[in-house]
Amino acid sequence: MSEVVKLQLIGLCVVGFGTIILLFIKSQFLRVIGFVSIVLGLFALVALAVPQMASLPPAEESINIADIKTPTDMATIGQKIFFSKGQCALCHSIGPSESARCPDLKGIGAKLSREFLYESLTEPQAYLYLDFRHEGIPKEYPARMPYINKNPIGLSKNEILSVIAFLQQMSGEPISVNPSELDLPRATPAPVKAADAGSLAIAQAR
Amino acid sequence: MMHQGPMITNQGRELVGRAAFLTGCVALLGLVGAADMALAQESVAAQAPTAYRDLPIIGSRNLVWIIAQLHLLLAGFVLGVPIFAWLCEIVGWKSGDKRYDKLAKEFTKLLTSSYATTALFGGILLFLLIGFYPKLMAYLTDIFFPSFLVYCALFLVETATLYLYWYGWDAMSEGNGKKFHIFLGLLLNVFAFFIMIVPNSWATFQASPVVLAEGTDFERAWAATWNPTWWPVNIHRLIANVVLGGYICGAYAGIRYLSAKSQEERYHYDWMGYVGNFIGVFGLLPLPFAGYWLMREIYQYNQQMGITLMGGFLSWLFILQAMLIGVLFLGSNYYFWLGITHRIPGSEAQYRKPIMAMLIILLLCLAVWMTPHSLVASLAEAQQMGGTHHPLLGVFGVMSAKMTVSNLMVLVTFMSFIMYWRAGKQDTAGWAKVAKAVMGAVLALAGIAVIILGVWGYFVPAIIRINYFSTSQVGIVIFVMLTITPLTALLLKSAKTTTEMVWGKMPPRAGYALVLNAIMVILLMTLMGYARSSSRVHWHVYGVMRDSSQYAFSPALGYAAALMALNTFLFCMLVAFIFWVATMGDKAKAAAGAKGSVEPGTIPAMAGGSQALDGPAPDTAQQNRPV
Repeated sequence: MSEVVKLQLIGLCVVGFGTIILLFIKSQFLRVIGFVSIVLGLFALVALAVPQMASLPPAEESINIADIKTPTDMATIGQKIFFSKGQCALCHSIGPSESARCPDLKGIGAKLSREFLYESLTEPQAYLYLDFRHEGIPKEYPARMPYINKNPIGLSKNEILSVIAFLQQMSGEPISVNPSELDLPRATPAPVKAADAGSLAIAQAR
Repeated sequence: MMHQGPMITNQGRELVGRAAFLTGCVALLGLVGAADMALAQESVAAQAPTAYRDLPIIGSRNLVWIIAQLHLLLAGFVLGVPIFAWLCEIVGWKSGDKRYDKLAKEFTKLLTSSYATTALFGGILLFLLIGFYPKLMAYLTDIFFPSFLVYCALFLVETATLYLYWYGWDAMSEGNGKKFHIFLGLLLNVFAFFIMIVPNSWATFQASPVVLAEGTDFERAWAATWNPTWWPVNIHRLIANVVLGGYICGAYAGIRYLSAKSQEERYHYDWMGYVGNFIGVFGLLPLPFAGYWLMREIYQYNQQMGITLMGGFLSWLFILQAMLIGVLFLGSNYYFWLGITHRIPGSEAQYRKPIMAMLIILLLCLAVWMTPHSLVASLAEAQQMGGTHHPLLGVFGVMSAKMTVSNLMVLVTFMSFIMYWRAGKQDTAGWAKVAKAVMGAVLALAGIAVIILGVWGYFVPAIIRINYFSTSQVGIVIFVMLTITPLTALLLKSAKTTTEMVWGKMPPRAGYALVLNAIMVILLMTLMGYARSSSRVHWHVYGVMRDSSQYAFSPALGYAAALMALNTFLFCMLVAFIFWVATMGDKAKAAAGAKGSVEPGTIPAMAGGSQALDGPAPDTAQQNRPV
């Protein structure tokens, strides 16, 4: 018996229970409970009668550096990061958009050098827009861009390079980032034995 | 907070260090202590931070769903009732009608017990969230910690104000004391409003996060709070809470009316049901506009999220929503119509035709609203239809049609209310004919304009329809309300009452209609809570923190509806229990009063049982006075 059929049976029982109360019970409060049961049971039955669609999450993807062979592989990963962990699409669009709160990034890979892109991501306040349209000290306009390599976004160097590769590819530019630049994961440290752990704990305590 | 995290870790390490040092001292005395410490360190090193925990049988998500829903419904009740009570108190103070003051006090009394229950469920919810979703909670705490402190402070002042408001009711019932008491009521609502909007910022951030740049803890929390859907949700929930408060008052009155033993009780609870339904409808009329604004902001924030809601796997949910809203509109109008025909003798024949016309319009509008955008059809059926859209009915499945009929339903309900207001009265003002002609013209033109804009909406790009046509339709309906309400009020000021309103004559089905309305509102809240939560699909924080638990999927509508029905039932039982507990003493007092000195015909003792308020029985003239 499928879950829907089970729920339909429960719904029918609830409606039946409510009907019996209304037919045979005199107490007004219980009659109201019966009435409420009928309403709620009918609501559930109607909801069970419409197409049942669940939203299943897409499979989670993890970056395995060993699988990255070409700059195009990096750009593919960069695209995923751009729209997920990197949160870039929360503010930026690729192409004109009414909802974008920050500059359109279409063609940005052709306009800016790879080094400038990296600096913009990791040191967004390095270059500030200054307003000289009045006397005295120019007014500063700090960038609204967050530090991508720090929390809460916290992209690693590999991930930032992948995003740059994507931005260049999307702009029709040759990808200047090479998989050889990626940091290889450090070897997993060997498990610490209990005796060693004890001395480590004492060292930490000191 | 970002900087506080390491600081706390350092303090923690320091504490751990001291503890380890002490343990080390003990270890010098015996080897057992050292061995224990080493094992503890090993287990800490081996453990990765826990992201999720689960519960067997019921599952963590279902439990959180039930508790969160009950907490939110109770919170809506606790925030809606003070608005309701305060409005009644003001009406009672201004009009001198003590019934309103008694009603306000009766509902304020409920606040003390329901406030504690709400806080209890809030506490349970917090523990469950910390236990089941430690990673998410750590992330949100990191961002919102300053607002947690604000929230705690607000709770303190809200509680103090509530105590003053409730316990000071009798002491501040006259003169300047009353004014101060009303001021306390205002403060209570202001604090309650802030108590509502602070957690709204946490929930809306999950749905529409903004990127947080560097800054102090406070600056980051502030930036996260001002996310795109925060204010639309605040306004939508504020109005919805008024609606919930009004309809629950109506349902309570309906149940008490059904079980009333004396004519006095019937009189009182009939009148209470009228007030509850009135306030519910008062809030219901602008609610679709607030919902429209929220939906518009969602689309503007992220079109994909909007599509998931309106055209994706949640699209059938909006058909259910249409059904519930339609029943709510019908139930509210039905109650008005019952009032006209039973409370105002002789008006049945006069209003039969307009009532029938309004009923037909409402049913037609509901039918259009409930028409799905695309039908579930077999390949052969689809080929026969020429697509998934029905050649005729498919026209009604789009937003243009739905916006038009929802506005028309609001207009009809508004006219029902005006009709009820005017029933049993005869205009005496010299300009009454002109005013009535103006009102008729405004209404007719508004109806035509709404329909024209709706039809025109099929022939323009969606962005023009959403930005200009739909907003114009809403503007037109608001204009009608703002024009006709003051004109009617002015007309009725000088009007002559031809038929007195008689309370306590409503048939039992009126009580059931009030209960039905309350159930519809609660179900709507549970349904839209599911919609809001499911629109994030597999994200805890949309586009930022993915849900990687086994419950990352959104369940189908049928399963969700079963849980919604269960939650609604549990909430109703909780509210019934609160009402029962709060009025237990009054019943005993009424029984004692019946044996003692209370005159026959006195209204049953109300909450608080104040001698000043539970005074002599209203005379027949007061019972029949127009409201």
